[in-house]
Amino acid sequence: MLEYVFILPLLSFAVAGIILAFGKWLPGKGASAGIAVAAWGFVQALFMFVKAMRGGLTLPYEASIPWFSFGPHQATLGVYVDGLTIAMLIVVTAVSLLVQIYSLGYMRGDPRFKRYYSYLSLFTASMLGLTVSDNMLVFFMCWELVGVCSYLLIGFWFEKPSAAYAGKKAFITTKLGDLGFLVGLLSLFYCTGTFRISQILELAHIGFIPPAAAGAAAILLFLGAVGKSAQFPLLIWLPDAMEGPSPVSALIHAATMVAAGVYMVARLYAVYILSPAAMDTVAWTGAITAFTAASMALVCFDLKRVLAFSTVSQLGYMMLALGAGGFTAGLFHLTTHAYFKALLFLAAGSVIHAVHSNDMREMGALKNKMPITYITFLLGTLALVGIPPFAGFFSKDEILAAALARSPYLYAFGAVTAALTAFYMARALVMTFHGTPKDPGKYNHAHESPPVMTGPLILLAAASVVSGWALSRHEIFARLVNFEGVLPFELRHISHGAVALYAGITAVLSMGLGAWLYKARPGIPAMLRGKFAAIAALLDRRYGLDAFFLKIVAVSDSLSAVLFSFDFNFLDAIAIDGWAWLTEKFSRLQRWFDDNIVDAAVDATGTVTLFAGRLTRRAQTGLVQNYLFFVAAAVSIFAAMAFATG
Amino acid sequence: MTLSHYLALSGALFTIGLFGVLTRRNIIGILMSIELMLNAANINFVAFNRFLYPGQHLGHLTVIFIITLAAAEVVVGLALVMTIYKNLKSAYVEDYNILKG
Amino acid sequence: MIEQIVFYLLAAVIVLSALGVVLLRNVMHSALSLGLCLAGVAGIFASLGSDFVFAAQILVYVGGIAVLILFVVLLAGSASDLITRQINSQWLPSLVICAAFIWSYLRITAYFSGIAAKSAPAPTVRAIAGAMLGDYAVPFELISVVLLASMTGAALFARRKEE
Repeated sequence: MLEYVFILPLLSFAVAGIILAFGKWLPGKGASAGIAVAAWGFVQALFMFVKAMRGGLTLPYEASIPWFSFGPHQATLGVYVDGLTIAMLIVVTAVSLLVQIYSLGYMRGDPRFKRYYSYLSLFTASMLGLTVSDNMLVFFMCWELVGVCSYLLIGFWFEKPSAAYAGKKAFITTKLGDLGFLVGLLSLFYCTGTFRISQILELAHIGFIPPAAAGAAAILLFLGAVGKSAQFPLLIWLPDAMEGPSPVSALIHAATMVAAGVYMVARLYAVYILSPAAMDTVAWTGAITAFTAASMALVCFDLKRVLAFSTVSQLGYMMLALGAGGFTAGLFHLTTHAYFKALLFLAAGSVIHAVHSNDMREMGALKNKMPITYITFLLGTLALVGIPPFAGFFSKDEILAAALARSPYLYAFGAVTAALTAFYMARALVMTFHGTPKDPGKYNHAHESPPVMTGPLILLAAASVVSGWALSRHEIFARLVNFEGVLPFELRHISHGAVALYAGITAVLSMGLGAWLYKARPGIPAMLRGKFAAIAALLDRRYGLDAFFLKIVAVSDSLSAVLFSFDFNFLDAIAIDGWAWLTEKFSRLQRWFDDNIVDAAVDATGTVTLFAGRLTRRAQTGLVQNYLFFVAAAVSIFAAMAFATG
Repeated sequence: MTLSHYLALSGALFTIGLFGVLTRRNIIGILMSIELMLNAANINFVAFNRFLYPGQHLGHLTVIFIITLAAAEVVVGLALVMTIYKNLKSAYVEDYNILKG
Repeated sequence: MIEQIVFYLLAAVIVLSALGVVLLRNVMHSALSLGLCLAGVAGIFASLGSDFVFAAQILVYVGGIAVLILFVVLLAGSASDLITRQINSQWLPSLVICAAFIWSYLRITAYFSGIAAKSAPAPTVRAIAGAMLGDYAVPFELISVVLLASMTGAALFARRKEE
């Protein structure tokens, strides 16, 4: 079974091309092909999971073919499968499959339907390639392909300037992090002399890599994850990524793009745990991201952006967990989060599909019109907030426990963020589905989505409800990802039960508070907002991060203007033009020399030859007696010379 | 009479012939001068045979061959002269320069 | 004594008639002078005791070639020949060259001075005939082929072209 894993990304890539080229003649304009591949991948991943749980697979599995050689090194093309890979494969294929099914309804009638499915397949293929790759080169290629796909899909409706802008923003911002990733990758190669993941992990495990070098490489690599997984301060692209179609948002936020960064850190975890500094960087970046994103979500009125901030916040959680040493916790959260965040986005997409607006202030009371969407959204919210016994509770609880074990400050960030999460999700839920209709026209127009959209919602809701409980039973997930390694720091012994209890209580209370405030006392939030206008504005402006980056752009603009003027007025004027002036003078000199010396010499040769010819031509009279005369003269002269002496 | 007498005579005859070849304008005159030179050579052959190798006949044989070849030469030469004369209407060699570039 | 008289007489005839061949303005006179010169050379051959060569000289040269040249002169000659100069412009340098040549030549003859005939001349015809049909049969046959070829060629050249 593992021997056929390599087919999965290749087939996906092929299908992306096939849909683009022949989609017109395929059933469902090519959607069927993409769905079929995703379904097959999901089934295969599921089989692998079951077999791995029964101990029927020898992990890690590795197979490769040589790609090219450089110096003594060899790059390979191959697959590397372990528990982490299988877990990721399930997430990617499951979400991709459901998103593609859901898109049948959501994207119906879109003029670029075929292209949309091609991009989705490419996106899935890149993510699958990234997941199963056995070396960091292919990993990096797929990593970049994921970026390209996000650009294509976020800017899918490129007629909208904001969508085109958002696509560019996502691409450029992540590229900023990818620079660090590339440098990190090369420094890792410098340390280990290989790109193969298994060898890197082995070398890290036996302590071949010096901790300082490992830390530097790990932090540089983490820069890539900061861009890809929208960590502080490169999180600015993700809210704007909401310009893409909602299923794309679900795919990006749940399974593919943002998960790539977390997956990368998990993949090279053996390198990270060599350096406490790198671990701290990851943990604190995650903590700050979690808190800032959650706070931004408090004041946002765009339904999808609230979810986007929540995604950033949850990604921060994952990084926090990984950095704090909670390897299993972080990946567990990645898995459960994939389901309920995909669910929330798809449900939000369903709402937006119905009311044609993103603004929560124009919604309200939609639960009457869209019961299935409401129920699934509610379940997703409960899972995200961490109400027991829904999925998020189990994973978030583990993260908080890991954070507390590492440092109380990290735990404080996590706990506050958990409360904020419960609050803003309650706010979003209430504003969208409860209360009174704010916009009667839109309310009356609203309707439940077709089964092809609600079906995936129901499946995801089921996954959101049970995945946390099911996967934490008998430590299934922990056994699957199977972390073996020595953390670079001591963890404190904490009571898991207390943390869980506190987390549950906080979630329930905070969510209740949010629901009560926005449902029964809508005046209070408005009043607070008016009172703390400065803070609200700050949050609205995302702590000025956008302005900060724009400022950087402006500064670099003016810097380049200065450089330009230096270049134009100094370098060009003096160095280039002066050089040109000199060159011209010199070539004039050369020309004079050429004309008067070289050419003259050539002409002189010609002239001499000409005159010599004119001279000797006289001998050629055409008179036979002349020639005879010369013969006779020669004979007589030779004879005279011969006999003059003797 | 000694050998050098005959050699001197043939030398004089040859030089006169040579002068004629170099200076006669008429093509027939040139041919006649060539005959003079050939005869000078013949005198040499016969004289050498007589004075240095008496009793042998190679010199005589050579002279006979030369006479025969001279006859052939004159026959062909005069035929050519007649052809050229018919075409160019001139017997003077300075007019025979149509091959001059 | 008589030998000297004959030789110098013949030598005078040969040199004078040769000069006549070269210098006479009338080509007709030159041709006649050539006949005289060839006859003088035949006399020299006779005085050297070469009977067969003497006969061949008379037959071929005097009787054949000289007469042939006379014919051609009669055919190709023109009236202008008698009044235009028959010596070209390079006669002076030619004279110098000839002088240099004769000087060198006389240096050679000096090597052979004082060699006199050791025996009286014997008849040569029988010996020459034996050599021609014996050791020298092949050159003899070859020369006859050359004669045939030159005769054919001359006939070809002289033929009047049918137009």
